[in-house]
Amino acid sequence: MNATNVVRPGFVVECPDQDLAEALTRWLDGSCLTWPATFRIRARIVPALTTLTDERVSFPQEGIEIQAGPPDGTVRIRWTDFPAEAVVSSDEPIVDLAVTPDALAHFEMAERGFFLVALVFVLRRIGWYHVHGAALIDPRGRGWMFVGNSRTGKSTTTALLAGCGWTVATDDIAFLQHAGTVARVHGFRSPIALRSGGHQLLSSVRPLGTGSDFSRRQKRGYSPEELGGRWTETVVPEILLFPTIGTETSIAPMRPSEVLSELVTWSHWVLYEPLHAQEHLDLLGRLAGQARGVRATFGPDLIRRPTLLQELIP
Amino acid sequence: MNERYHRHADLRLTALAGEGVVLHLGSRRYFTVNETGLTILTALEHPKTFDELVVAVCAEFDVAADEAAETTRAFLAQCLKAEVIRADGAD
Repeated sequence: MNATNVVRPGFVVECPDQDLAEALTRWLDGSCLTWPATFRIRARIVPALTTLTDERVSFPQEGIEIQAGPPDGTVRIRWTDFPAEAVVSSDEPIVDLAVTPDALAHFEMAERGFFLVALVFVLRRIGWYHVHGAALIDPRGRGWMFVGNSRTGKSTTTALLAGCGWTVATDDIAFLQHAGTVARVHGFRSPIALRSGGHQLLSSVRPLGTGSDFSRRQKRGYSPEELGGRWTETVVPEILLFPTIGTETSIAPMRPSEVLSELVTWSHWVLYEPLHAQEHLDLLGRLAGQARGVRATFGPDLIRRPTLLQELIP
Repeated sequence: MNERYHRHADLRLTALAGEGVVLHLGSRRYFTVNETGLTILTALEHPKTFDELVVAVCAEFDVAADEAAETTRAFLAQCLKAEVIRADGAD
């Protein structure tokens, strides 16, 4: 069978299966990212995954198993819910994907799971380092990141602010890069995904359009434009906010080393393999050094008064 | 005390505002160190004896040698336990 080769500025997809090649290309094109160098995806459909012989310690997280580091330096990622495997080269931006029909049928779920993790490790090889967070620019032109776990209000707050003159790079998928003397964030463009709770909260103060239905993830997705805002690819963060949800919106300052420690938590790929670990850590340090870090509680009052964050951090 | 201390190959360190964040890649753990710890780990970019580390601490801080020795000893013990440094002859 002949391979379908898709060549774009920044990536190449080699795949004998047209559906899989198109799905991968559509996903990567949709990110609207200006990739830092060319990476290569070699993908194929397989009836089932082969028996795992890799004896490295496996680190499970949310339906994905990751094996990385010595002795061979590759990164092996297995999706356990719907079988698929990615093997990232030890030092080149190349990934081999083996995807079962079941996994292909759940591509939408893999976009923020299995495929994203594979992409995270590929991009580490060309100087982009993933941070789990939202990135925005406020109406005064200041760059912000909301860094932290799911269910801490990142997406809901991002959607709220998109309708209040803020520019959004991403609500969830940020890639850090050295840009001269600063750390810059590139936002993977994808719909701001709201759970029913967040959707309900926002709907209580302003009408939301229909958005996109992510029924498999039990979310609704909105582009910044659908919410009245704009998208940007890059943000240079000046404010790092580590949110939790509470009854009233407040902030508390953090020491720079606390900020850095939190960044390691939410960019934990820095711990998985020796390759580029020091560069990754130094970049997180640069980000922590250039930005003011605060712990924040997002309360319902923020929904009613979206200028509150700017008032708390003038 | 002629034993020489050196950083574990799995250690990664970065400094920020006088403190440090240390990664241990083997165990995927990380922690922060204060300015004294940062001074010691920075000095261990090249292997050093205990006495050399005490001199490094004294050079950085306005502190008596006895106090520097006590602080250094305690920090090294923690680091050896966490396996971010090794002493000559250790596994």
